[in-house]
Amino acid sequence: MKEECAPQGATKARVAEATGGRTASGGGMAGVCAERGRGSAIEVESLVKDYGKGRGVFGVSFAVERGEVFGFLGPNGAGKTVTMRNLMGFIRPDEGTARIDGLDCFGQRARIQERLGYLPGEIACMDEMTGTAFLEFMARMKKLRDRARMNQLIEYFELDPARRIRKMSKGTKQKVGLVCAFMTSPDIILLDEPTSGLDPLMQSRFIDLVLEEKRRGATILLSSHLFDEVERTCDRVAFIRAGRLAAVERMDDVRKSRKRVFVVTFADEAGRDRYAQAHPDAQKRGAASVEAAVAGNLDAFVKDLAAYDIVDLAAREQTLEELFMHLYGATDQAEKGGSHE
Amino acid sequence: MNRTLLAKELRANLFVSFIIAAVLAMYIGVIVSMYDPELGESLDAMMQSMPEMFAAFGMSVQATTLIDFMLNYLYGFLLTIFILVLILIMANKLMVRYLDRGAMAYLLATPNSRTRIALTMVGVMVTILVALMAVVTALEVGFAEAMFPGELDMQALMRVNAGLLALWLAMAGLCFLSACLFSNATAALWVGGGLNILFFLMQMASKVGDKFEFLENVNPLTLFDYYGLAAGDASAAGGAIALAVGAVALFAVAVAVFDRRDLSI
Repeated sequence: MKEECAPQGATKARVAEATGGRTASGGGMAGVCAERGRGSAIEVESLVKDYGKGRGVFGVSFAVERGEVFGFLGPNGAGKTVTMRNLMGFIRPDEGTARIDGLDCFGQRARIQERLGYLPGEIACMDEMTGTAFLEFMARMKKLRDRARMNQLIEYFELDPARRIRKMSKGTKQKVGLVCAFMTSPDIILLDEPTSGLDPLMQSRFIDLVLEEKRRGATILLSSHLFDEVERTCDRVAFIRAGRLAAVERMDDVRKSRKRVFVVTFADEAGRDRYAQAHPDAQKRGAASVEAAVAGNLDAFVKDLAAYDIVDLAAREQTLEELFMHLYGATDQAEKGGSHE
Repeated sequence: MNRTLLAKELRANLFVSFIIAAVLAMYIGVIVSMYDPELGESLDAMMQSMPEMFAAFGMSVQATTLIDFMLNYLYGFLLTIFILVLILIMANKLMVRYLDRGAMAYLLATPNSRTRIALTMVGVMVTILVALMAVVTALEVGFAEAMFPGELDMQALMRVNAGLLALWLAMAGLCFLSACLFSNATAALWVGGGLNILFFLMQMASKVGDKFEFLENVNPLTLFDYYGLAAGDASAAGGAIALAVGAVALFAVAVAVFDRRDLSI
């Protein structure tokens, strides 16, 4: 998967250099750009940060290529935020390394920030400021001269920044954070649970924004516990659980291997039992129902059901946990095979 | 230092600084207006009636001149304890709350090093304390000259106030170090604040009874010898310099600690 992504990303980086990099950041950047335009954008190597009691990350390794959108998926408390903190240089790894643009994340954090956008998982802005004052303050702290992109993003998210941040709803605060992360048009963007608190319309706008930034050539790492936002944006996805990476997969492969789960309710228990006997995979649910997971072609499944007296049929996507378990098991079995199903 | 952050934080701390300045202005005005050789005698009479009480608050010397009077009633307690309150509020706003609420993540998500951020916060504290010292000196001189022209020994006042500023900065350095050192917000605020309060209590105890006089020798507050500074003692000047050096060292360690530590934000 790396082999395919790397040249694509490298091309984008070269295009960015040829056009003089970002205009907002002004002079002196082009040289830095050329110097940094090699290797993976983000490299994490055997990262260990032990907070005790099983919390933290234990030997996490992955690399994000230039121009790639990389999802970091796992349940709450799995170590997503700890990894983000390492990448931001907030904490020093116990072992291993975290690098961005080839620079050490803890030792050279201020330099890395010149070209980075970050959305914290905990939205805790400066409460007493208004949204406008906060964004203006952040723009100055980031030495951003041109406010056009900032205003464009405020409009895009339909954000009313005039109110005090303390009085804003969670979703509105999240929008302030998003504007702040994207307003410098950074090369690398780290987003920790970016859509929490956003309504469905804004979630889909966020996804469009990520795709647009990807076309611009930005490298994006986004962590989430929601499969949907990762599915719609990411090229690759890493599954993390209890501080360990279970798998790093191409999104296309994950999508293919994701099964649909059908809950079939039969007219009577006898019919259900007959079906369950014929299909040992199906799990009995309640008095007259089964739950069956189906991958790929649905034709056989539907035609098979025609032989029974069916009262109800409901479908749902596999939950993250189910998918995760499925992938996790498959990875163990097919370590060298590289594919699932 | 980062000018954007400096300006923001100075603005954010302006109101509380103004309140403290107003309270101090009131006390300075009242104390200076109370200076009157005859009233001084009646105050002395009151002091003799309950000497321990007055001694505890550093008001134990029979004041004959205006500067002695001011030293006696202002410098032992009022001009330090209110400033400690201000220092605690500033340490909380500039460091403890930023780390506790995680808003520090925004400051560090900019191309400013941690050293630069922390030095800016130190700059805010120092600027406000120096400005407040200028205000206090102006108020003292203003009230004294308005009510008792020519009575105040200006040079002595300048020496004492320079020493007082060193004490303020040392207290601020201790509070800021504690704010940078501990991840627990309560500890971050109150280890530094508590130590300062403990020094005050030790000073009060040591002045009341002979039994506690040994506390003087282990108390950094003793380095601020305001009567010695007014008199121009070399040892008192040495004490003030030690406080200033201590302040610089405490701030430097605080910045270094902040630069190296893990931040759970």
